Amino acid sequence: MAQKVIMPKQGLQMTEGTILEWLIKEGQEVKAGEPLFEMETDKLTITIDADVSGTLLKIIAGEGAVVPITETIAVVGTPGENISEFLTGESSCQTETKATEEANTEAVPKSVSAESTSAPIVRKEGERILISPRAKKLAEELGLDYSTIAGSGAEGMIIERDVVKAKDTAPKATPLAKKVAEIEGVDLKSVTGTGARGKIRRGDLEASQSKGAAFITSPAERKIVPMRGMRKVIAERMKQSQNENAQTSHTISVRMDEAKRVREALEKAVGFNDIVSFAVVRALTDFPAMNSQIVPEGIWEKEFVNLGIAVAVDDGLIVPVVKDADLMSLREFSAAAKELAGKARDGKLTSDEYSGGTFTVSNLGMFGLDSFVAIINPPEAGILAVGKIEDTPVAVNGAVEIHPVMKLTLSYDHRIVDGAPAAQFLAKIKEYLENPYKLL
Amino acid sequence: MSKKTYAIAIRDVLREEMRKDPDIFVMGEDIGVQGGIFGCTRDMLKEFGEKRIIQTPISENSFVGLGVGAASVGLRPVIELMYMDFIYLAMDQVLNQAAKMRYMFGGKVKVPLVVRGQQGIGRGNAGQHSQSVEALLMNIPGIKVVCPSTPADAAGLLRTAIRDDNPVVFIEHKALYSTKGEVPDDPEFAIPFGKANLVREGKDVTLLGNFLYHGKALEAADILEKEGISVEVMDPRTLVPLDIDSIVASVKKTGHLVTVHEAHRTMGWGTEVAAAVTEKAFGYLDAPPVRIGAKMCTLPFNLGLENAVVPQVEDIVAGVKQSLSL
Amino acid sequence: MAKAKEKYSKELLLDIYEVMNEIRRFEETALKFFNENKLRGSVHLCLGQEAVSAAVIGLMRDEDYITSTHRGHGHGIAKSRDLKSAFAELMGKETGFCHGRGGSMHICDLSKGNLGANAIVGGGLPIATGGAFAQKYRGTDNMTVSFFGDGASNQGTFHEAINMAAIWKLPVVFVCENNRYGLTTPYQTTTAVEDIADRAVGYAIPGYAIDGNDVLAILDTFAKCQERARKGEGPSLIECKTYRWKGHWTGDPEVYRTREEVASWVAKDPIPRFRAYLIENGYATDKDLDEIEERAAKDVAEAAQFALDSPEPDPAHVMDGMYVEGGFPL
Repeated sequence: MAQKVIMPKQGLQMTEGTILEWLIKEGQEVKAGEPLFEMETDKLTITIDADVSGTLLKIIAGEGAVVPITETIAVVGTPGENISEFLTGESSCQTETKATEEANTEAVPKSVSAESTSAPIVRKEGERILISPRAKKLAEELGLDYSTIAGSGAEGMIIERDVVKAKDTAPKATPLAKKVAEIEGVDLKSVTGTGARGKIRRGDLEASQSKGAAFITSPAERKIVPMRGMRKVIAERMKQSQNENAQTSHTISVRMDEAKRVREALEKAVGFNDIVSFAVVRALTDFPAMNSQIVPEGIWEKEFVNLGIAVAVDDGLIVPVVKDADLMSLREFSAAAKELAGKARDGKLTSDEYSGGTFTVSNLGMFGLDSFVAIINPPEAGILAVGKIEDTPVAVNGAVEIHPVMKLTLSYDHRIVDGAPAAQFLAKIKEYLENPYKLL
Repeated sequence: MSKKTYAIAIRDVLREEMRKDPDIFVMGEDIGVQGGIFGCTRDMLKEFGEKRIIQTPISENSFVGLGVGAASVGLRPVIELMYMDFIYLAMDQVLNQAAKMRYMFGGKVKVPLVVRGQQGIGRGNAGQHSQSVEALLMNIPGIKVVCPSTPADAAGLLRTAIRDDNPVVFIEHKALYSTKGEVPDDPEFAIPFGKANLVREGKDVTLLGNFLYHGKALEAADILEKEGISVEVMDPRTLVPLDIDSIVASVKKTGHLVTVHEAHRTMGWGTEVAAAVTEKAFGYLDAPPVRIGAKMCTLPFNLGLENAVVPQVEDIVAGVKQSLSL
Repeated sequence: MAKAKEKYSKELLLDIYEVMNEIRRFEETALKFFNENKLRGSVHLCLGQEAVSAAVIGLMRDEDYITSTHRGHGHGIAKSRDLKSAFAELMGKETGFCHGRGGSMHICDLSKGNLGANAIVGGGLPIATGGAFAQKYRGTDNMTVSFFGDGASNQGTFHEAINMAAIWKLPVVFVCENNRYGLTTPYQTTTAVEDIADRAVGYAIPGYAIDGNDVLAILDTFAKCQERARKGEGPSLIECKTYRWKGHWTGDPEVYRTREEVASWVAKDPIPRFRAYLIENGYATDKDLDEIEERAAKDVAEAAQFALDSPEPDPAHVMDGMYVEGGFPL
């Protein structure tokens, strides 16, 4: 008897998953416990093993399909079996509105999905655009063309949240550039901005024009990378962070001579990043305010340090968390961090391994950055941005000497911590790094 | 502040005002020795005597009319209807006489009349003793319509009603009589008409409810809060005059309006609020207003059936989510 | 005619005669204006019924209250003696009793104790009871009269209001002007009893059925009832048998009665009857009464001209009078 394969729920928050690859092709045999397909959620990439043995009779959700949890994605059974029951009804990816007898409110057709999508859509010419007055007002205020915004309200109506999403993804351009683009019919999304923070200037438009018509694509021809999975989560978290915190930052220079020496002494069993991170762990135990979170009752100074270490991965970044780092030695910490980083790069982290952080360290020194400002990972109170170690002329006792110097930039939530204690915290890290023996 | 029931809050204001103003008298069915079937005039016969606490024959139209006549020559009658359903028997005197007298007579007459009584579900009183009458009354220019939901509102609004020089229909709710709440002891405590009560602040949706639905709106708001939805709860308190400005201000903030009442949904006060908000704040709405009210069905005797006719907390939660497209 | 020389002063009787003539001229002028399209709305004339208003109200004080009916011009004229305000209201002018907001059916003047004419048949009985309640509540010996027609006697308020007045011994006299028709419907087809006054038995109060075109009969009967009211002994019911000469309203085709029937009642015109009484009993000469009639005609003509010359109410103030605060508070 044929059995269905469903999109399995992989975490509390998971509502849908993307099929990345079918490891067994239609018509091939599959054994229970063997890998069947790979999928991606907003948090992780995971290989799913088959539950049953048999022939993979039908793949319903092909590679790249986004499928709500528990929907049927394939059928396993014996060749020749009638599997029609799996191909209708349940295979629909749309959730049907439950037709209850609405007692007291008039039943209004529910939206197909409450989830607002930020991907632009293309409407047929002359198609009526349903948009709430509030959303329309906002779109007009923002100067957004709402005809390409997908609606998530009743009957697909564009509502406020859809416009807000669209605003967050719309290309930024100067008023002149917008005007020219409108007159010339240039889609701003196809133009690379060279202004501040990628803002498109008039010159950018002309540059894109001069490269020929190939750069000006019709909406239907554009390559649209869907905002989903990890990209979407990152976008939301970063925006949330900017909206909700009072972020500011300090930078300090640290001489790394001694840290280098310690690393040599430990036969490079620990990385620089481990040493820096571990110095942060110690400094956090000295400054519990930096290891805190705003809760309804006030500020919760956490009695444990779970240090998040940002790791760049192919399509974004993920922050594995070293739990109870304050109870570890430097070596233990280093080993734990290394294991988590490996899992992160392989997409094998469990949700427990990338959540629950109390403070984060982000290192982009390997990309040659001197220093940078990182965005706080809410609800944490701060994040430390680590630059590269560079030999730098330093004035020592009236003479210029060359020393390895690293710049640390602390972003912190001013709602919780004031400037002076934040500076002291940063100085403490510097102290640990310039006297790393204290860490051993 | 004293903790007292809604019924006693009403009784106490009647008593205090009668002590201050000899022109006030109370008239109605069975209000004497027993003090009314809900106790709103308990012990008042002893204090004020039969001259001022007058127990009537069962003649609603004419004793309301007596009140109209007495008010037009300067007394301040408080006429009790045992059940608001009986106002339909007195509708000529309310609608054709009290409401119109001042205008038809060129603004030369004042009719400081209060017609008060209880309405609503909750005691298995079936079709002719469970109705909500406020919507019909709202469509009659010349009277004011007051709907207190808490003991403090009952006290503060009744004092304003008695002191108002216009005819006021003061609607109480039978299921609220035994509810307790803090009521200011100040013998001058009065709540002005036309000031909605902002019961709970929120940012995602404006939810209006009165009488039992003042409390049920708060219950729904608690449930929704756990799902991350912030509900602003308002109680209009008086329907004529209606504090549309405060409601509109709230909707401009939230972009969403949900109204809930025990009265029938069709042409209930929620309909007026929805229309007025649409007129005054159309550009701020992110969804059509949602009106929740009783089905267009006679109130049944059986409890299960009664509950099936009037809105439940789940209906409010669903209505809010509908408004938010969730 | 009853002999009443001792009971009523010459001034009272001549004043009643003047009021009857004022009402007669007022109604005739109203009809003429209606026919000339100077009036709008329903105009219910009381031609032929003048004796009831003039006699009953002749015995009343300004502090005594009346409630009146849709056929209320006579009551309003007798109680206020302000022909100008009455005619101006008939024409919907700003100078009318109600600033043009009430019209023919809502003549009202609280300053003279008129709690208002009422266009709901039977609507005034409870209100009159309320007026009487207030008079008793305040410990005065003032009293109230509720005028109503034979039609209203079949409304529930007739029963409810008289019963309440009786149990609480309120100082009110219920005066029914039985003019024999409720619009087109003959009284005999709607009412089981011959005399509405017989219903008084059901409320344990006195009831009298009298000739409503006989001023002296009205005075005698009403005086008794009024005294009973002032003494706190309770209400009474008086049924005045009378007749409206004109239709229910101006423009009534009157298909429900014969010309002969109307003529037979015009022959019972209360004004010549009372004039003859006044002369026979030496209250006045023909010349005195001619002068009164001429004065009444002149006063009504002046009132009509005043109404014609008066300004229309300003539509900008249409909401004035709705609530004490003004306008509508929404």
